[in-house]
Order: sequence, then C-alpha cells, then structure tokens
Amino acid sequence: MEHERTDILIIGSGASGAAVAWRLAGSGFSVTCLEQGDWVSPGSYPNTSDDWEIRARGDWHFDPNMRGWDVDYPVNVDESCIDPLMFNAVGGSTIHYTAHVPRFHPSDFRVKSLDGVADDWPLSYFDLEPYYDLNDEMMGCSGINGDPANPPRKARPMPPVPIGDDGVRLANAFDRLGWHWWPSDNYVNSVPYRGRLACNFCGNTGLGCSRGAKGSTDVTYWPEALAQGVTLRTGARVSRVESGPDGRAIGATYIDSEGDDHFQPANAVVLAMNGVGTPRIMLNSKSDAHPDGLCNGNGLVGKNLMFHPYAMVAGFFDDDLPTHQGIVGNMIMSQEFYETDERRGFVRGYTYQVIRSSGPVSTASGFLGPPVPWGANHHQEFAARFGKSATLAVIGEDLPEQHNRVELDPDMTDSSGIPAPKVFYTLSENSRMMLEEGVRNAETLLREAGAVGVIPVPLLKSSGWHLMGTARMGTDPANSVVNAWGQAHEADNVFVVDGSVFVTSAAVNPTQTIGALALRTADYILRERTDLASAS
Amino acid sequence: MPDAEHNLTDADRVALAEVLNRIVPPVDGLEGAGDLGLAQRVDEVSRAIPSWRTSLVIVMDAVSLDPSARAAGGWLALEEDEQVLALEAIEVNIPAHFANFVSAVYAAYYTDSRVHKRIGWRSGAPQPAGWDMPPWDPSVLETVSQREPFWREAPE
Repeated sequence: MEHERTDILIIGSGASGAAVAWRLAGSGFSVTCLEQGDWVSPGSYPNTSDDWEIRARGDWHFDPNMRGWDVDYPVNVDESCIDPLMFNAVGGSTIHYTAHVPRFHPSDFRVKSLDGVADDWPLSYFDLEPYYDLNDEMMGCSGINGDPANPPRKARPMPPVPIGDDGVRLANAFDRLGWHWWPSDNYVNSVPYRGRLACNFCGNTGLGCSRGAKGSTDVTYWPEALAQGVTLRTGARVSRVESGPDGRAIGATYIDSEGDDHFQPANAVVLAMNGVGTPRIMLNSKSDAHPDGLCNGNGLVGKNLMFHPYAMVAGFFDDDLPTHQGIVGNMIMSQEFYETDERRGFVRGYTYQVIRSSGPVSTASGFLGPPVPWGANHHQEFAARFGKSATLAVIGEDLPEQHNRVELDPDMTDSSGIPAPKVFYTLSENSRMMLEEGVRNAETLLREAGAVGVIPVPLLKSSGWHLMGTARMGTDPANSVVNAWGQAHEADNVFVVDGSVFVTSAAVNPTQTIGALALRTADYILRERTDLASAS
Repeated sequence: MPDAEHNLTDADRVALAEVLNRIVPPVDGLEGAGDLGLAQRVDEVSRAIPSWRTSLVIVMDAVSLDPSARAAGGWLALEEDEQVLALEAIEVNIPAHFANFVSAVYAAYYTDSRVHKRIGWRSGAPQPAGWDMPPWDPSVLETVSQREPFWREAPE
C-alpha cells in the first residue's frame, strides 16, 4: 500500500522524533511519524501492579532481549560487554528512562581542542543552549541555578525534586570532603506543571509514570504535536529508507502489525530510532545510490558506538533510610571529577549519580549489584541491605572508537524478518582506569557518609541506556555522516536527530542533549529548508 | 524430573519445597520459603519470565539427578546440610541457571504479604499512594554554593 506523500517523515517517536514533530507541527510542513511500537496505557505500567518488581524483570525489562515484546527487535550482544537497553512505544525510551537530564558542559564539545582526543563537535554548548532551554520547558525540568560546575543558565521551570534524608546525608559528606555536588536536573514534576501532576515519590521512575509526572514525550510533545495536525502511525515497523537515483530519500517502506507492506513517500526523512536502531535501518537501506547502506559512502554508519560505561558502588548504612521513596535516579550528582586531570592517568572524566534503592525483590536480587546470598546467611545479609542503601553510579565519558560498532546480524531478525543489529563493544583502557578511580572515590564518599559496608560493581553489563555516535556529525564528509544540523552529507533530505549524531559522549545522560539537537535540526528545516514543504 | 512441557511433577514440587527451605530458611518465627507454601508461587512467577522457567526446570532436573541424593534414596532423604552441599555443587556446575532460579525464588518470597509484614514493607502497588517526602530545603546548598565556578571554558 502506498500512502499520500508527506513533507517530513519522522521515523521513531521518542526523545528526538517527538521534539521534531512538535517543532514542525503547524508550520506549513505536513508531518508524519512512523513508530513500530504502540501507545502504552499508563494504567498498564508496572507501578500500578502488586507484582511490579517481577514485571521489571520480565515484560517491563529495560533490555529488549529480556522483555521480548513483539514490537521489539532482538539485539545480538555476543560481542559486547555492555547490553543496549531501549524501549519501543510512543515516547520511546523516555517511557522507561529515569528522567535525569544534566546538560553537556562547554568542554564536552571541544575535547580535541582541549584534550587532544576524539574530535570537536561542529557546534558549541552556546549554540545549543537555547534549545536546551526550550526542551526543559517542554519536557518540564525540576532543578535550581547556581551550580558551580556548570555555566549559569536560565531558571528551570520548577524547583528541585526533594532530595530526602538520604540525599542530605550524602550531600553533607560531599561537603565535608570538599567535593562538588548539586541537586540533579530531572524531567520529573516537583510541582504540577502544564496540566500534569507533581511526582508523589513512588520510587519507580524507571518503570513508566502512571501519574504523568515524569516528562516522557508521550505526555509532553506528542499531545501538542497531534493537536497541531501531525500524523502518528503506530505499529509501523520501518525496514528501509528508499532512495532515488540521485541518492536523495524518497520515503520509507514499513510493515504494519498485520504484516502488510506499506510505502510512505516523503520529501524528507528524519531518522530518530536511537543509536542502534538508526544505523540498523541505514545499513539495511542499500540501493544503487547507496550500495553500502544509506549515506554510508565513507563506511562510518554504525561505527564509533559509544555507551556510557557504568560502575556502581552501593553503600550500606546501619540505620534505616527510606531509600525506596522518591525518584530512584537521580537525586543529586557530583561533577568533582568531570574534567581531565593528567595526574590521574586517563583523559576526560566522570559524574557521580546518587541512586536510591528499590523494593525487597530488587534488594534480594541485587538491584545494581550482586544478589543477597541464599542459605543460612540470607536473612542477615538482606537485613543489612534492605532500606539501608544508597548507590553511587559512576558514569564515565566513553570516547569514540571505530571498532565499537553496530552491524546487521547475518542470521538474527525481528518478527517481521528485518535483520537484527549486532553490537560489537569492548571497554577501552581509558574507560577502565576512569571507572576504577571512580569506584575508589565513591567508596571514600560513602564511608564519609557513614556507610558500614560497600559493594562495588566495576562494570555493570546491563547498562547500555545511552546509545550514541553511530552516525556522527562533523564538517568533513570524510569522517562524519551528518553535518552540524543533522543533515546527511550524502543526501540533503535525510536528517538524523537521535544519539547517533553524537561526536563524543560527555559524562552525563544524553537525553537532554538529544532533545536539544533535535529541536535545533527542526529549526534548521523550518528556516532553511522550506523547499521541502509541498505547499511551497 | 520436569516433563517435556516444562511442567513440574508432584514429586518435583515436593522436592522444590524442600529446596526452597534451604534457599530461604526460616527466620523470626516465619517458616522457610518451602514451608510457606511458595513452591506453587515459584512455579507461577517463573512462567512470567522464560529464562527463569528454563532455569527452574534445569535446576530441578539437576536436583533430581544429584548423585548424593540418588545414593541416599532421593532428595528428601538427604540431611539438611547434605542438601545445602548438593545445592552448592549445582550452583557451581550451572551458575547462570542457578542464579536465575534463585531470582525466581526471591521474587516469589519477597512478594508474599507474610514476608512483607515481617520486613516492614507496604504490600501492593506503589501507585496511586506514593510516599510523602520532606520538601526541598535550599539551605542544604549553603556550603557548595560558596564554591567559585569551576566549569572549564572552551573555545567557541
């Protein structure tokens, strides 16, 4: 079936696709978005179920290989020490994320100039700043100005989410050590905001928010985009972006939930499927004009995959802390060790995120660390951990390396027969040293806070929340896939707006930067590409 | 031994109950996981997660085939400390499956209301009740706010 032509075809409805759809809505462009998942009813989120902790390990697992929804695609992780995590639904992985949204630092855009590694971005922090502000307003940011580790900025729309007695305890420890800390920016409503309720601290930010208090794009951008005429088609699993003889995109082929084939013609295609999904479909879009995959003439599509390698250090206290109450991650952060210090033996740095605990099943199963042992000592060890822990997550900057990559698996497919991605990823020596230091310093902090026991996890395997770098931006077509506006060098009507375009990863969660970059690309289309509007 | 459809037999359930008592033993007047009647619950929760189901079947296979149990006339004929040793051996031989199995046991045990009562956990869904928290207090920023900005300038 061939559909009526659309001006702008967006593939993916998560953090970036939703932002582009909203920004272009009602602007003279016709906009259609294809999403392989469906709307997920907030009433079906696990936090409305008695068995929420079991569902978090089953049908609501972060990992698509564990979750196994029909709308998911499998990922071959045999060659990766980190498992990619994602969610396929309207809202994408923002349904599942913990909504911690720090910004990149100015230095993150200039790592080559400052530290002689990787590459500089073709834009600066201050180029992106107005879009950070806009994304904060739309998604609903809670936080407070004055952070000495970051540039001054516009006031957040809401005050910080309460950091709780556990947050205060750790904050005081940071103060005593003379280390930086600051309340985290979160897309979690600390007060009612834009028609959405305030958070009631149920503790399960990562399992979907049935109150709509978390800023996932199904409750932020999408209602406004749809009201302004954007077409959102769910259950639409794109297999290929089709190209004409000149290499420009002509639309996308997709398969619906009944298994029927469709073609959606378009004047331009915006790829927003995340740092694994986007290269997967680009690599599957071979044509006469793009024999190695869409806009892959230099072979860089899928290369330079970056995760944020995570280490976890759990501290256990001998008094009860209600650490299952409040947002799970992240209440406060520290960027004391964010920038390069040559004395440490590695380049770039890391952020600490302070993460709460969870319920009894999670505690027994280890949450972000090893499980409580079974047998005679089980109850004693469980009692020492349950409701008594806080975890410092060490999120390290991952530098791009071409051998870390996404390819198409030669055998594995999704349920529609589309090749699955295979991920190749090894941890660099730089990252390993960075995490080791992060673990040591985390133990110091937790002991200072009064922890009587500490359990480190040097590298968390199930931590590939952040998927970046696989269609990176740059000014030189020889070593980048898209330009500073997310526009492909090889096809001026193909745009990439998800984490694939990241040149480097910084040492913070990427969602805020993904949203800001997407809004910036949308503004570029509005301003410079009116030729893509049929009405023009 | 579980059948070809991965269903536990009656004999498996009896053995499973005793295994559960070794995994999560009695405490504070609360019986062990098996004597709490959680074998059926483990069977149920393992059906929610395919990898857990597979591992449950494989572990119960291993229990039924354990050499020391066979020599003694069956799992139930073993002394408790012998059962622990046998389980430790199974854990060493099939660690991933045993870990999944233990996860399923913990899931069953720690979603039981009797256990919640003992550990002081509020049963039920986190929503819509949520929790109350003390409000945000900016005075906690007093020390860190005095620090001079130290973010690194970068060339435009």
